[in-house]
Amino acid sequence: MKPLRHLVVLVVVFATALYIGCSNTPPSGPVTGLGGVTVNKYVAIGDSYAAGYQSNALYQSGQMYSYPTLIAQQLKAAGANLGTFEQPFYSDPGNPDPKTGKAARYEIISFVGPVIGPPGLTPGAPANLTLARPYDDLGVPGAVVFDFLDRTSFLAKAGPPRDNPFFLLVLRSSAFGGSILDQARLLSPNVVTFWLGGNDVLGYATSGGVSPSAPTPVATFGFLYSQALDSLRAALPNAKIIVGSVANVDGLPFFTTIGPKVAAALGAKSAALGVPIYLRYQKHGNAGVAFDSTRLTEANPPMILLTGSPYASLIGTASGAWYANNGYPGLPPGIDTTKPFGVHPQNPWPDALVLDVDEQNTTLAAVNGFNNVIMTAAAAHGAYVVDFNTFWNNLRQNGLFTSGQKFTTDYISGGFFSLDGVHPSSRGYAVLANQFIKVMNEKLGMGVPYVDVTTIPGIPAPISKIQDASGIPYIPHEAFADFQWLFGGGR
Amino acid sequence: MTPSRSVVVLLVATTIFTATALASGFQLNEHGARAMAQAGAFAARAYDGSAMYFNPAGLGFQTRASVLAGVTLISPSSSFFGPVQLNSNAQYDQAKLLFTPINGYIVYPVIDRLTVGVAVNNQYGLGTEWTPSTWPGRYLNQKIDLKSFFFTPTASYRITDQLSIGAGFVYATGNVKLNRQVAISSVQTPEPVTVTMDLSGHGMGFSGGLLYKITPEFSVGASYRSKVQIDASGSATFAPNYAALALPQGDVSTSITLPANGFFGVAYMPTPDIELEADYQYIGWSVYKELKFDFKANGSSSVSPKNYEDSYILRFGGQYTMAPWHFRAGYLFDHSPVKTEFVEPLLPDASRDGFNIGLGYDLNEHWSFDVAYFFLQFQTRKAENTDPSIAFDGTYKTYANLFGLNIEFKF
Repeated sequence: MKPLRHLVVLVVVFATALYIGCSNTPPSGPVTGLGGVTVNKYVAIGDSYAAGYQSNALYQSGQMYSYPTLIAQQLKAAGANLGTFEQPFYSDPGNPDPKTGKAARYEIISFVGPVIGPPGLTPGAPANLTLARPYDDLGVPGAVVFDFLDRTSFLAKAGPPRDNPFFLLVLRSSAFGGSILDQARLLSPNVVTFWLGGNDVLGYATSGGVSPSAPTPVATFGFLYSQALDSLRAALPNAKIIVGSVANVDGLPFFTTIGPKVAAALGAKSAALGVPIYLRYQKHGNAGVAFDSTRLTEANPPMILLTGSPYASLIGTASGAWYANNGYPGLPPGIDTTKPFGVHPQNPWPDALVLDVDEQNTTLAAVNGFNNVIMTAAAAHGAYVVDFNTFWNNLRQNGLFTSGQKFTTDYISGGFFSLDGVHPSSRGYAVLANQFIKVMNEKLGMGVPYVDVTTIPGIPAPISKIQDASGIPYIPHEAFADFQWLFGGGR
Repeated sequence: MTPSRSVVVLLVATTIFTATALASGFQLNEHGARAMAQAGAFAARAYDGSAMYFNPAGLGFQTRASVLAGVTLISPSSSFFGPVQLNSNAQYDQAKLLFTPINGYIVYPVIDRLTVGVAVNNQYGLGTEWTPSTWPGRYLNQKIDLKSFFFTPTASYRITDQLSIGAGFVYATGNVKLNRQVAISSVQTPEPVTVTMDLSGHGMGFSGGLLYKITPEFSVGASYRSKVQIDASGSATFAPNYAALALPQGDVSTSITLPANGFFGVAYMPTPDIELEADYQYIGWSVYKELKFDFKANGSSSVSPKNYEDSYILRFGGQYTMAPWHFRAGYLFDHSPVKTEFVEPLLPDASRDGFNIGLGYDLNEHWSFDVAYFFLQFQTRKAENTDPSIAFDGTYKTYANLFGLNIEFKF
């Protein structure tokens, strides 16, 4: 059986060959590096977004994922010798609500409802106060473009009318510089991200066009913004400056969550009664009985704000809860809270809880005007622009896939936004960081790796009870106390 | 060993192998070491039981009862470099897996000119597992294991001594096991949420063929295998428990259409010792538009677009006989049905070149042994501008070693 033995030898030879093969050598691909750009200091100038504000509060486990923190981390991964990126941390669960003294941070209290709000925790405390220089993350929640150069004392801004404690937290002492610009200059960064301007329109929009009663005028914004970039460029003649444009509010769940659910409720009620039921709401600038009607089913309906969440379930009942909760000394002339709330002309849905079509147009005009200013000013000052308006429109219309995760602008389930419906979640901030990095890579020739969004934690939740959260979110009215000082007033 | 006992041994030996593998798309064309050693260029000769796959008309020329059984060992090696979306060129490897599709054929001449047979083999299969489990593509695919068994009772009639026709009935079973991490883009869970799906189903089809020996030197063959739709159902199990509450735990169903195939081959035999053949195989992959799982619990679906294109394989092979030895070699080019924008980690497909060699040995008038070795080099595959549902660009590099072993007993 000699041939058979040969066969056995052949089998062994072939089997060995199974495990020998050429190796898969790396192909040419993206190259990690700084592309010749000197980066040994990065400073972020901005507002609550730059601060990493999430779910209505500033807290360390959220600040860790602010977009500037992530950009700094990625710059380091590309070889930048940045050292520690210093931030004004507020230990968990973050800053207090000024009224209750309890932690302001929203949490998912129950998926049934769902119920969202501050669970009444003892607040945290500032955790990085002794740093003997300005913070690298100079994002001040509530800051408008005006604040960039303004040297009003930080303590004064913590009092009326601004009532904003964050200038004191982030900028601390005028010894480091009396304005955001002064502190940034002291750090002599080579790379600066400058993303201000959102609050110049958000204060108007989140208050239903009530406080302030108009966005920053475009002409004023143009003056302030050009002045800001003039000063920044003069202070840092060689720095790479990347600015962000402003997105329209229809990409924020704060404006888009409650309306469709109220529309569905009205539709069901109409069908049950056999007559159309209209939502009556106060016109812009009118706290009285002058009202408009909507079924919320027409194209471009009024937007019911997230602040309307605690009142949505009161529609159709005899309720004066809005007036009681907001400390009205008496009811406005003509208002009768014994009439069905939100449907009767004498008890209409409050102006502050709706962004009607006129107000939406005002908002959009401001956004477009601001963005024209931003594009022009950036070009004039050698700055690069991240077009967040286009980004947000795309996110709103198509959602955004990253490595199999899908993000949308839906409240909670969309993943992109934190529980306040205005500020991104940690994952949302990671996506925003990547938008900045994209401009660095495409416009500055850098090779900065992008943040792997799948490694960033999602919104904390009571895991033992994960459920479908498709009802009308209920957020207690007290939870919105902060919005006034965060976005509003003081200009 | 008496013939009857040895037949039993062969059949038992073949059924213990599991079947899962890798081919263009997720097709398998290795169904016998003789054909495999000649790059599958076999439709114009089809001289053993594997005719029931390559060309059922080949049975008509087989006048002795036989049993043929074998296994193919497939060891792919695949690496991904990227993802470009992270500006990364990092390397991730597929776990080293060994797949063992089997083949078994019984051929029986009933009367003069009429031969029947039955075939069992694994015509489609897929196994992918990427490492480490934390790799950036983990939400796109973690682990998939797709198996199919094809049973093909076949009959062939030799009309003249030169012309034969054949046809078969195809019954196929399929099983897919899928284990992946579920991307919950909103809330944070303490541990990864995973889904395990296990679906089984079956489908039917047919095959037909014609083999014409024009002269002693020339023969041509053509065959067709219909598409087979497999309707499968099973269960989806989510873990951990709290996630199952919010996700569509329970019954899940899918339908996969496996493509039609056409073979056309021309063989040239300049001397009785030398056989050369060239084949063209057409694969109607465009039936594979999407992979869709329907969850009964909440009526939702998970849809991944595939949008395959029709494809082809060119095969060149031959054998040289120096009794009792047969020396075989071949080359094939297999065109990928997957468009660039749909290349994904689930199946990092690419066009490929295959180099085959093999050896046959006839021990006596009953027993034959055949081995084949097949090296498959995939072209470097760049995934660019991948579909938004994938959004995972980079470069895939793959090669595979295949080893085939068959034993035949002729009565």
